[in-house]
Amino acid sequence: MHKLRHTPGDPEEVLTEAVETVVGEGPVYVLGLGYVDKADDGAGVLVANTLKKTFPDYSFSEHDGVEGTVLDISERSGPGTVLFVDAGDLKAPPGTIEIVARDQIRETEISTHRVPVALMAAILEGSGKKVAIVAIQPKCLEFRAEISEEMGRSVAAVVVVLSRLMRKRN
Amino acid sequence: MRTLEVVPLTRVEGDGGITVTLDEKKVKSVTLDIHEGPRLIEQMVVGMTPEDNLNVVPRICAICTLSHKYASLRGLEKAVGIDPPEKAQVMRDLMMLGENVESNSLHTFLLALPDFLGYPSAVAMLSDYGDDVKRALRLKKFGNHVMQVTSGRIVHGENPGLGGFGKYPTKKQLSEIALRSKELIPDAVRAVELFGSLEYPEYPEAETTFMSVNAPAKKFGLAGDSILISNGKETDADDYKKLTSERVVPHSFAKRSQYRDKTFAVGANARMINMGKRLDGQAGDFFKEHYSDRWLKNPLLNNLAQAIEMLWALEQMPETTELVASMKDPKRAEPTRLTGSGTGAVEAPRGTLYHHYDIKDGLVETADIITPTAQNLDDIEMHMRLCAERMLADDKKDAEVLLALEMVARAYDPCISCATHLVTLKRF
Repeated sequence: MHKLRHTPGDPEEVLTEAVETVVGEGPVYVLGLGYVDKADDGAGVLVANTLKKTFPDYSFSEHDGVEGTVLDISERSGPGTVLFVDAGDLKAPPGTIEIVARDQIRETEISTHRVPVALMAAILEGSGKKVAIVAIQPKCLEFRAEISEEMGRSVAAVVVVLSRLMRKRN
Repeated sequence: MRTLEVVPLTRVEGDGGITVTLDEKKVKSVTLDIHEGPRLIEQMVVGMTPEDNLNVVPRICAICTLSHKYASLRGLEKAVGIDPPEKAQVMRDLMMLGENVESNSLHTFLLALPDFLGYPSAVAMLSDYGDDVKRALRLKKFGNHVMQVTSGRIVHGENPGLGGFGKYPTKKQLSEIALRSKELIPDAVRAVELFGSLEYPEYPEAETTFMSVNAPAKKFGLAGDSILISNGKETDADDYKKLTSERVVPHSFAKRSQYRDKTFAVGANARMINMGKRLDGQAGDFFKEHYSDRWLKNPLLNNLAQAIEMLWALEQMPETTELVASMKDPKRAEPTRLTGSGTGAVEAPRGTLYHHYDIKDGLVETADIITPTAQNLDDIEMHMRLCAERMLADDKKDAEVLLALEMVARAYDPCISCATHLVTLKRF
């Protein structure tokens, strides 16, 4: 796990290095999770929707249907890496980014709203894809509030880093 | 005195738990505790226009979103005198079929099945039943797609409106839905065969009453103007309060309903009991093969009922989409009055959902929403109590009893978020 906000050096370089440690062979897919009406909770969707403009076949958001997207990616042949991007309570200062490797994803229970990331990760792994989570610490989760400055900066950094990576890989 | 607890109750929507209080081996009480906070939706919409109300109330839940939209539409349109065009009616049927497939696929394969097969979750089931997990995701994806095409978005779509739709799907979109629904029928058949082959323990069995809408034209369906009761009676949906006498209890933020001072159940099982003989196609064949008097007693059979219903929904789609495609896009029907009252009753995946509105001078004066889970809560507790008493009398271990109680509660596919849309505040 890499906590990036307080690491010395250029944040984008540090983030690039951290992401590359979890990325395997083949193209990189992004799946942005969250709820855009709740301020920082929509970080994953913002990242995915921005990347989708350049990489429409590789970047997907909650609005595309998470389970269906996972199924579609799992049916694509060959290796690849799926990065779930989501706001998460990291018990860290707002805007902190963590790269969570597959073996640290433990959430297993399913509600009627969404299949857990652990199940989606298992399905993707079964099809030869690597999985990791890019988690960002939110500051504000209020309904209809603006995204916080800290989250905005981190979303921009994640977009820049993933965009460079996807340009190289996809 | 000791207690057995399941906290939280997982694989349901919302925050709840089960508490069993015991005096030696005697069961003192079994409660389904609702921890989810109150939502106050019915008070929030007072003073809103019907259009604004229609945008707000489906936010009660993101899984039953279209059922809330449709129940609200039916209630509001009755209240302000709107007669929606036929094409809009058929489109509404289609969106409900999509929601039914989306919800029933997730509940049967991923929420209920692991218990019966002895796995702690669908994640653990993946290595042995990977194909079934993928079936669930395929069906859920397709249900979501139908919801998106008809309502505009996967969740909280705003395309359905008073008097019609903002936009109707293209013929290409409709023919794709028809084709895909046919392709997915084997997945639904697999669900029926799986749930039809399971052993259903007798511990929770007890006679109860079942209610569902009476779909028009003597067909199986998900909306209607009257309510069928398994005792043979039928009541106009506008008289829903006679069927759902409500009360509050200390251990729950959700209201409870009873019919003639007794518990009752709504859901796929109730729909099958009241309308199952109307089914045709493979769904009809499976209903005839599996239906028995046990359906009137055993809540676990709601899982099998959901599987058959999912198959029915897929079988309906080709004809429904063809009908939509054959009609010209109509204009939205307009209100004919500013003051009036109306009740909408629809079948959400987990049971009958009522929305009642009194509109005065074009604004909502009162709103009353009764969700399926709120109607089922007393029935769930009744069956859980019997199950606990009988299992403890048979010297079953605590862990076995708790798992059985979880299975009973989950079988109703409860939506706790929906059930806590309102709480009555008493000030002293």
